[in-house]
Amino acid sequence: MSEIETYRAQARAWLESVAPKYSRAARGKLNLSVEEDLALGRQYMAEKYDAGYAGINWKTEIGGQGLSNMHKIAFDAEEMQFGMPNVYFGISLGMPIPILIHYGQDRAWVKERVIKALRGEEIWCQLFSEPSGGSDLAALRTKAEPDGNGWRMTGQKVWTSWAQYCDYGVIVVRTDPTVEKHKGLTYFWVDMKAEGVEVRPIKLAGGDSHVNEVFFDAVRLEDSQRMGEVGGGFGVALHTLMIERYIATDSAGFGPHLDLFVDTAKDLTINGKPAIKDGRIRSAIARNHAMRAGLDSITKRAFAMMQAGMQPGPEGSLQKLVAVRSRQKLSEMALDLQGNQAFDFDPHAYVKEDWGTSWLNAPTGRIAGGSDEVLLNTIAEKVLGLPQDHRPDKGVPFNAIPA
Amino acid sequence: MSILYDEGQQAIATESRRVLDARASKDRLLKLLEQVGEHDAPFWDTAVEQGWTALAVPEEHGGLGLGLVELGLVAQASGAATAGAPFLTPGYGVTHALVAAGNADAAAKYLPQIAAGEARGAVAFAEGTDILPAAPATRFTDGKLTGSKPAVPGGLKAELALVWASGANGPVLALAELAGAERKAVSSFDNSRLYADLTFAGTPATVLAEGAAATALAREVLARMAVVTAHEQVGGAEALLHIARDYAVTRKAFGQLIGAFQSVKHRIAEMYGLVEIARANCIHAAASAGTDGFLLAAADARLTATEAYDTCARDCVQIHGGIGVTWEQGLHLHMRRARSLAIEQGNLLFWEDLLVETLTGEAA
Repeated sequence: MSEIETYRAQARAWLESVAPKYSRAARGKLNLSVEEDLALGRQYMAEKYDAGYAGINWKTEIGGQGLSNMHKIAFDAEEMQFGMPNVYFGISLGMPIPILIHYGQDRAWVKERVIKALRGEEIWCQLFSEPSGGSDLAALRTKAEPDGNGWRMTGQKVWTSWAQYCDYGVIVVRTDPTVEKHKGLTYFWVDMKAEGVEVRPIKLAGGDSHVNEVFFDAVRLEDSQRMGEVGGGFGVALHTLMIERYIATDSAGFGPHLDLFVDTAKDLTINGKPAIKDGRIRSAIARNHAMRAGLDSITKRAFAMMQAGMQPGPEGSLQKLVAVRSRQKLSEMALDLQGNQAFDFDPHAYVKEDWGTSWLNAPTGRIAGGSDEVLLNTIAEKVLGLPQDHRPDKGVPFNAIPA
Repeated sequence: MSILYDEGQQAIATESRRVLDARASKDRLLKLLEQVGEHDAPFWDTAVEQGWTALAVPEEHGGLGLGLVELGLVAQASGAATAGAPFLTPGYGVTHALVAAGNADAAAKYLPQIAAGEARGAVAFAEGTDILPAAPATRFTDGKLTGSKPAVPGGLKAELALVWASGANGPVLALAELAGAERKAVSSFDNSRLYADLTFAGTPATVLAEGAAATALAREVLARMAVVTAHEQVGGAEALLHIARDYAVTRKAFGQLIGAFQSVKHRIAEMYGLVEIARANCIHAAASAGTDGFLLAAADARLTATEAYDTCARDCVQIHGGIGVTWEQGLHLHMRRARSLAIEQGNLLFWEDLLVETLTGEAA
């Protein structure tokens, strides 16, 4: 067994040992509120930290385990199968904390934050999107103006995941509106409990409220909260989005496994005949199987390349685009297949085990973290070398762009 | 099983591409389309000279003792060039049947000829609309074949055919020398594939497998050929992706490169996605030959490769506009090849069903 496989087996054994308390299967019966589930999640994170599975691929001097990216992927892949209550900490540890490690000025303070975040005691959010710009990040309007030896920030962010539970956030704001939109941005960290910060949850179509609007009314920022150069915020933001390349993927698009569709089809009929014998259903099963197998093979190959010290190819960027789209269509088909039985809907059902919630929440997956259209543009431009779209705001100072 | 190509495999990929690029001729391929009964002889000579016919033949029979991964890489290069002679893939099918069947005499007689390119192979399984009929009408009795097989790829000029027939005790896989069969050329949309109706009227043949063993071996041969073809399809699809991209960064309309329009750039990005998914499946399938999951992996590769090549052929022509439908520009070489490869080794409908059967454990 390779070192990674040994590690994976150890990780699995540990996960199994705590699963009776924390796994989705165990929690599912308890009908926990979000706050109760989060509290259990904090306990899980503390246990995970104590067991040595937190910050796996981060340096030991900052509070990590000093292991490789492969160790982290191996652990994440195992952990994902248990449905542990870790969703609240995914963004916090995925982007803001690594950026803090990279750019944070006061190292002792940074280390304290890292450990508290790993233990689930503190949560960080990422304040990027705004009403005026989601895909077009650099169109953001929240501004920070010099205020003595620091800054004063006013504006609004939106779609901020878990902000209502967060202690800190990382934020990109406009510090100079007289230059091109990408060049006038600066990156800070912000205390979410500071005076002038207001968080208002947004209820999404599927019924849950994990995203928020966040308002900043003349919030004071010290210059020591700045990460990177003044005017260098867009670069730091891109760095943030690039960090999570070694993320666990899911060819089911974070929806149900294909086996569930096969089981659904085995149990049902179409016009009195077994659905599993129906050519349309068989075609959907076969095509989805083949497509998902391809995505899984891309992942395995990327893993093998990293293990061999090589850089994985750009085809990894296809995962979310292809998987979530197919999850959406397959969920629609599964609901159709159930006929009137599909109307029996539980908004709290787990999206990986239920066609109703998988379908209703699928659009979020096609928009968040890069919309399908932006991902296609990225593949076209960065991988295939096709030209950029026509951009009328290019080369124009931000404050001269027609509204 | 490795899913990363080693140095030797990478060298085969590079060298086969280089040789085929150097010897490619669109004019020659276009002429072949209008000639019934002619294959791309320079390609076949290249295949023999480069040892591609010997790749998967065991060393003790004069071959190189390599396998599906290596042959797949050659097929990918052939697909990119719409090169290829119809004997390469079925020749591998015949080779695998001879190796797997354990008939030492037949293996010793035919494998060296296949390796040397002296005996060209065809695989004659299909009847009617079925690629692998449950009860073939072609009969095998007293060592002789009787019946007919429609439009067998390479059938017009192959020396050997692996034939799926019904015997006294269920299905039979038999190897026949085609000198003893009647052949009739089929005029096709992809004529260099040498499709021919084969008629056997008491043609002597050697049994390679019978009964359940014949069924299993026929499926295995078909799956292995399907994986080779899937590589060829990926090669073709990737070539079309590059052709479309190159055109989109050259051609201007409405004052800008057409590649700047999202309708065009997204179409090309979607082609890239299909190619990469199919490629990943091909690599996995080739590497899992001989394992339990091979049939499923072959089906995955086949389905995604067919979808990739079909879509790329369709969309590459569309992106070119009027020039894309001219004879001289030649994109129809890919369109035609995409269709012939989609049908040879079993169409999407066959592979979809086989995949679901395998997945659900239904009786075959």
